[in-house]
Amino acid sequence: MSGTDPVGNPGQDPRAQLGRLLEEDPADLYENAPMGYLSTLPDGRIVKANRTFCAWTGRAADELIGTRFQDLLSVGGRAFHETHLAPLLRMQGAVREIALDVVRVDGSLLPCLVNAVELRDDAGAPLLVRATLFEATARRRYERELLAAQRLAEQSEARSRVVQAVVSDLAAARTVADVAGVIVEHGRAALRAGGAALVLVEEPGGAPGDVPRLRTARSDGLPDELLHALQEAAGERLALELAEGVRTVELDDRMRSSQPAVAEGMARGGLSALVVVPVSADGRRLGALVLGLQGESGGLISLAEPGTSRAPEPADVDLLWTLGRQAGQALERARLHEETARQAERAAFLLEAARLLAGAADLPETVDRLAALVVERLADLCVIDLVTEEGMTRPVARHRDPGLQHLADEVRRRHLTAGRESHPSVRALREGRTQWVRHVPAEYLTSITADAQHATVAQTLDLAGIVAVPLVADGRRLGVLTICADRRRGAFTEADVEVAEQLGLQVALLVAKAQRYELDVRTSHTLQANLLPPEPPELLGLSTAVRYLAATYGVEVGGDFYDVVQLPGGEVALAVGDVVGHDITAAATMGQLTSVSRALLVDRPTPSAMIERLQAGWSLMGMQRMATALFATLDPADGRLRIASAGHLPPLLLSEGRAEFLPVVPTRLLGAPPAATPAREWAGVLPPGATLVLFTDGLVESRSADLDEGLTALLAVATGAGTTDPDELCDRLLGELTGSHRADDIALLVLTRRG
Amino acid sequence: MVTVLERNCVRVSGVPDGRPVVFVHGFGCDQAMWRFVAPDFEVDHRVVLLDLVGAGNSDLSAYDPEKYASLRGYADDIVEVCRELGLSDVVLVGHSVSAMIGVLAWQQAPELFGALVMVGPNPRYIDDGDYVGGFSRTDIAGLLDALDANHLGWSRQMAPVIMGNQDDPALAAELTNSFCRTDPDIARQFARVTFLSDNRADLPGISVPVLVLQCSDDVIAPEVVGRYVHESIPGSVFTHLAATGHVPHLSAPEETTAAIRSFLAG
Repeated sequence: MSGTDPVGNPGQDPRAQLGRLLEEDPADLYENAPMGYLSTLPDGRIVKANRTFCAWTGRAADELIGTRFQDLLSVGGRAFHETHLAPLLRMQGAVREIALDVVRVDGSLLPCLVNAVELRDDAGAPLLVRATLFEATARRRYERELLAAQRLAEQSEARSRVVQAVVSDLAAARTVADVAGVIVEHGRAALRAGGAALVLVEEPGGAPGDVPRLRTARSDGLPDELLHALQEAAGERLALELAEGVRTVELDDRMRSSQPAVAEGMARGGLSALVVVPVSADGRRLGALVLGLQGESGGLISLAEPGTSRAPEPADVDLLWTLGRQAGQALERARLHEETARQAERAAFLLEAARLLAGAADLPETVDRLAALVVERLADLCVIDLVTEEGMTRPVARHRDPGLQHLADEVRRRHLTAGRESHPSVRALREGRTQWVRHVPAEYLTSITADAQHATVAQTLDLAGIVAVPLVADGRRLGVLTICADRRRGAFTEADVEVAEQLGLQVALLVAKAQRYELDVRTSHTLQANLLPPEPPELLGLSTAVRYLAATYGVEVGGDFYDVVQLPGGEVALAVGDVVGHDITAAATMGQLTSVSRALLVDRPTPSAMIERLQAGWSLMGMQRMATALFATLDPADGRLRIASAGHLPPLLLSEGRAEFLPVVPTRLLGAPPAATPAREWAGVLPPGATLVLFTDGLVESRSADLDEGLTALLAVATGAGTTDPDELCDRLLGELTGSHRADDIALLVLTRRG
Repeated sequence: MVTVLERNCVRVSGVPDGRPVVFVHGFGCDQAMWRFVAPDFEVDHRVVLLDLVGAGNSDLSAYDPEKYASLRGYADDIVEVCRELGLSDVVLVGHSVSAMIGVLAWQQAPELFGALVMVGPNPRYIDDGDYVGGFSRTDIAGLLDALDANHLGWSRQMAPVIMGNQDDPALAAELTNSFCRTDPDIARQFARVTFLSDNRADLPGISVPVLVLQCSDDVIAPEVVGRYVHESIPGSVFTHLAATGHVPHLSAPEETTAAIRSFLAG
């Protein structure tokens, strides 16, 4: 068996040899085991330690006896022993693989893994603790590296989670405010910052060379004074600042001396550093995300000694840079989205304004409603000035906030008087061009207001922009539409000004139309008053009554007429007619027609001849409209009556309680090409006590009923009236047949032959 | 919606109409720490045990880093639990950091509490000028390292490995589920909040009977600190225990119980 002896000692019995080797001295096994052995009392005092442990720690056994095990540990290990190991041992009776560092006599650390069991008496009280310690230097180093790697991986994962969350939240952000909310929230959380704010560069719109202004889109946890100080400090160097990438500014003595206001703001917010992250899209610098880092008073307590800086790690800087770019792109998207929405809103606004203006009747009421619409949708203050015969008037000044309307009322009292040539509304009117005031400093307001009180009112309105649009129609300057925005709303944009101009155009057309309309109304009334025939004269043997009712809407003058003329020799000439149309031309034609027909009466023409002559001379007389008419002659002495009709409704005869339409055959309308034969006259006798009713179609025609129904109703009312007194009859007919709402004029002539 | 009692894994036992004793564990473990002390009080008290949020069987989802960035967040919870249970004249027994949490809870709702028992209190662990708290910032960093070293692989392996008594399945189940397990991130933050807290200024204003229980040879709360606490709280009672270490309710439950009872009787 030689040569295969595992112990390698030829010539002896290997089995016996192995047996002897394994017959180890238990004491030696304990003392020199490849691990440390310790026995301690329950309070940790060591009562026994093996040689291995002594050798590892560099301490003699008698030095160790009586020492508490926990006193051999590093301070952190001691704390862990007290808070974890000892309680666990007491509760569980054993612990395994606890990692602790034992301090060697030379002060160096021996990383160990500790297993321990507690020996207890029958009642469960602890008697002794036995512990074994394995040296675990390499393993613990490996674990530490593993942990460090794991931490890094976790941080990196946390960062990518931040980016993912930001990207997904930004995708849902519709407005600039949404974007600002997302970026401020995530930016703050990612750096565990004490506060964060997104400041944006205002859209350029000012004069060339203007310093771009900053606006805080969203702030969370940063003092307002600090943001203000930062914006002041950025000033003209803003573009440079933003070009420098993610920057950390610490609150130190340099900062305190160079930027005392910023330092003051940081101190107030308990901030130790500011991180400025540029927000840009496609190279355009849109603004910055400002994060305020706190010292140890911050959200997460830091182990760093007070006063030490907390500059973000490079990985965090990369993260912030990414956030800034994501935010920039989202801002561009949101702005586009908002602009589209605003355009739709503007279109809707203009449509609504157009509808309002199209339905307008009364100018003062319309401008009032228009101003209300403007302050609801476009501006905070709307003032309209109009040029009238009496000079400049200011029919409306309206504020969005009913609580501030008293200021608008003050503004309304200040007409655009001379001496305020620089006022944008005055300039708009004078130059016929829109005036856009982009910034409204206090001294500017003083220069355009009428007096100190006016200036105070203007200051209180807190204006951020003024746009004055001249109201021009047919080359005439009719007034000015002035809109103002306050600082809450922010400055007007190009698009706002465009909307104001389009609105101005609409208003100008309305004002022009209204002015024309007003002129028409006044002219018509004057004309009508002069053109309508006078009250009929007292006639021997006849009672008469006439009524003229204008349409209740429209120009209130029409082409209806009546006429009663006493002819020499006792005969009476009667006429009733209706010139087509309800306007000034109709009224003029009616006036001409009554004049001409009276003039023709000199020759005592028969009714039929009257029609014939009028038709013949119609174009020669320059009559612009056609007309229907009924002409009659009546001899009061014997009641002989002759009637002819040019397209007119037949007259009504009321006799002995019976009513009938006289069968007068109408010829063509006046103004139509004359018929081949003269009009056929109806000739008869008006018996004593009988009544003749001449009328125009306004009496019997309405929008809801046709002519035949109207005529039937007239017959019924006349029959049932029970009177032959012309005045009473007129009132009955009008009362029963017409409503308060008439689309057409009514001329009514009632004549009763006294019995 | 998790209730306040579920959030803090509140367990109520003992005599329903007895004087309430609320035990609050300190950093490192959970309500199981009171297992040798609570039964004695169950005889004549209403005993309330709870886990601070982040510890034991508390609702981890309720852990809000901002709320629990200061001890006040924990104190709020204790006040809520007492109110939810309708307690009054409460004896609040707080161990270690919870001794200070108890002070903050009393400040917030003094009407709820009749006595504070501070077991191994330390209002400021880090030395500060003449004040000796027992630790430096570097020491705290060392403790965090020790935590890290022992939390490695926490979620999958730690509980079964630590579990020593394999023979007792009931105990094993309890340990696997809850015993002293903590999410490492929460443990780290709780350690920071605990060991960087400074509540010295809160002591002089305390106007409720206070017992300071001081252990021998306590590295977490050295005797000099216990004396400082006693001297800062007007009228407080100072009892020096023979028990060593930082957890007398585990190492010397009889002595601890006797000291609390004697204080409450006096």
